[in-house]
Amino acid sequence: MSVILTEAEAKALLQKVLKYSKADECEINISGEKRGNLRYARNEVSTSGAQITQNLIVQSSFGKKVGVATTNEFSDEAFEKVVRQSEELAKLAPENPEYVGVLTPQQYKKSSGFFDSTANITPDFRADAVAKSLELSRAQNLAAAGFWEDTHGYSAMLNSKQLFAYYPSTDVNFSLTVRTPDGTGSGYVARGYSDVSKLDTVAATRIAIQKSTGSVGAKALEPGKYTVILEPTAAAVLLENIFFNMDARSADEGRSFLSKQGGKTKLGEKIVDERINIYSDPANPELPSAPWAGDGQPMEKVNWIEKGVVKNMAYSRYWAQKKGVKSVPFPNNMIVSGGTATLEEMIASTKQGILVTKLWYIREVDPQTLLLTGLTRDGTFYIENGKIKHPVKNFRFNESPVIMLNNLETLGKPERVVSTESNQNYLMPPMKIREFTFSSLSDAV
Amino acid sequence: MKPFFFTRLQYTSGNWDTDQRMPSNLLHSLVEYTTIPIDEKEKVVLLSSNDIFKSPFCYLSGHKLVEFSTQERDHFKRYVQNGGFVFVDDCNHDIDGLFAKSFEQEMSRTFGPKALQKIPNNHPLYNSFFHFEDGPPTTAFELNGWGDDLVHDYLKAVTINGRIGVLYSNKDYGCEWDYDFRNKRFLAVDNTRFGVNIVMYALTA
Repeated sequence: MSVILTEAEAKALLQKVLKYSKADECEINISGEKRGNLRYARNEVSTSGAQITQNLIVQSSFGKKVGVATTNEFSDEAFEKVVRQSEELAKLAPENPEYVGVLTPQQYKKSSGFFDSTANITPDFRADAVAKSLELSRAQNLAAAGFWEDTHGYSAMLNSKQLFAYYPSTDVNFSLTVRTPDGTGSGYVARGYSDVSKLDTVAATRIAIQKSTGSVGAKALEPGKYTVILEPTAAAVLLENIFFNMDARSADEGRSFLSKQGGKTKLGEKIVDERINIYSDPANPELPSAPWAGDGQPMEKVNWIEKGVVKNMAYSRYWAQKKGVKSVPFPNNMIVSGGTATLEEMIASTKQGILVTKLWYIREVDPQTLLLTGLTRDGTFYIENGKIKHPVKNFRFNESPVIMLNNLETLGKPERVVSTESNQNYLMPPMKIREFTFSSLSDAV
Repeated sequence: MKPFFFTRLQYTSGNWDTDQRMPSNLLHSLVEYTTIPIDEKEKVVLLSSNDIFKSPFCYLSGHKLVEFSTQERDHFKRYVQNGGFVFVDDCNHDIDGLFAKSFEQEMSRTFGPKALQKIPNNHPLYNSFFHFEDGPPTTAFELNGWGDDLVHDYLKAVTINGRIGVLYSNKDYGCEWDYDFRNKRFLAVDNTRFGVNIVMYALTA
């Protein structure tokens, strides 16, 4: 049996497993994937890997008593065994007061996240694409290191109310750090796509090379508040903290940046600049994602922040029921709509400022104001009178993405980025921000 | 009662023109928390001009050298000795920086070598409006600031007849408060509250 099942194969297999169920309700999730990777360092490949996984998860319930068991053994005996295990666990479990039961069949939008180009990647293809990149850094006596990973797989679910969902997807992720021989200059690039034919490792490598050679001889600049231009890779790791914290329950319970005194929330309030629109849409062709949530709810296009106003928060089915509202599942993708400015135009319009390529090691300082800290790295540059003047030493920052989006000056064109913290992909514009707080210097490169 | 106005001192050495948004942010806090009538516009006054003697409160900051001309020194000294109040803030947030070294030298030249002293963290300044149990509040810049790795857990002052005449900080409050006042609503605790204490102390002590 293949690891990547077609829709019909997945359905047939799930129906077979479901037949073993004696529980009040049963939900079965299945997934399979093939991953290939190349790891490289010092301009040479160090590891070539491949990984095949498949998983079956059975959730059985008796009333509000719920049990889950998983297996990666795909035989009839194993299927029956895993169903029995989940039922035994359910009987032993205390009642879960928040269990809301399984859904009836749903309608899903079409989302095309599967590309043959990516699914057909061979080890040769990987080696070729990476070789082209490493040749460039080798030729300039620079040291490159990084990781390539491609995935193709599917997930599917079926429950005892006959809800069936299936989604196949592909993904490729290329990242590269280039350093100068003396170790004082560093540049980074990451690219993620569903369709590998969009990935140009040569063009990406040129950016990392330019950043690494350009960041040699960084001068110290005093920490303080600066106008910054955040490249999308840097903006993503800050803004994803907004995305992760759109949960209604934590807002209602006073734990999030969307909470207000006295149990109220900021739903319907303008919290950021009115040019900010944040939405999710599984059907976006640049950033396709599964059209169904983990519990089988259909994913619609959802405006989370529209013209700066909080329009939606994520409600689990339990919390929505309790509050008497419609449930809104957590999104599978996030898109920040942007403006038209290019990065070059944003630099050209800056009298004094700092260009930030990448932020890393992001940690939360205060969840209620979403104050974050972290560092710049891999190329930070001082801009004066519309030109990049010189590289600067790296900074630690203390900033909240909410305050930051109130100090917005310009939004650029959105592009697909990979978060260097969570590995999630987003569509994200570069942004120019006033009064960004750099609190101290860092000796890291 | 004439409205309170914020005076920034312009001196000839170094750079005096820092933290442009700080004064309006601080004035906004005075409106928000107190009943003091406010003139919204910051006044920039040459230290060498006689206008300094009309100011209830002066602010002096910078990153670079502080070396007063004879007239500037004379005005600074007379203003302070006649009951004036100057809040001096080191934009380098660094006790080893040029501003700190040269300003402290300037104070010893102006008021004598022992005039500038650390003030205790239970000084009335810390209770003049809001209460700061642990002395001066910390800023975002000092934990690993501009190279000296020191937390400055005190402020210094030149005290005249038991009252602070020159309040001197290495904590860079000016930069800490240099933001659009509309962003204050996103802070867990308004960090300009200590600024209100400084103005209240200057006006009432």
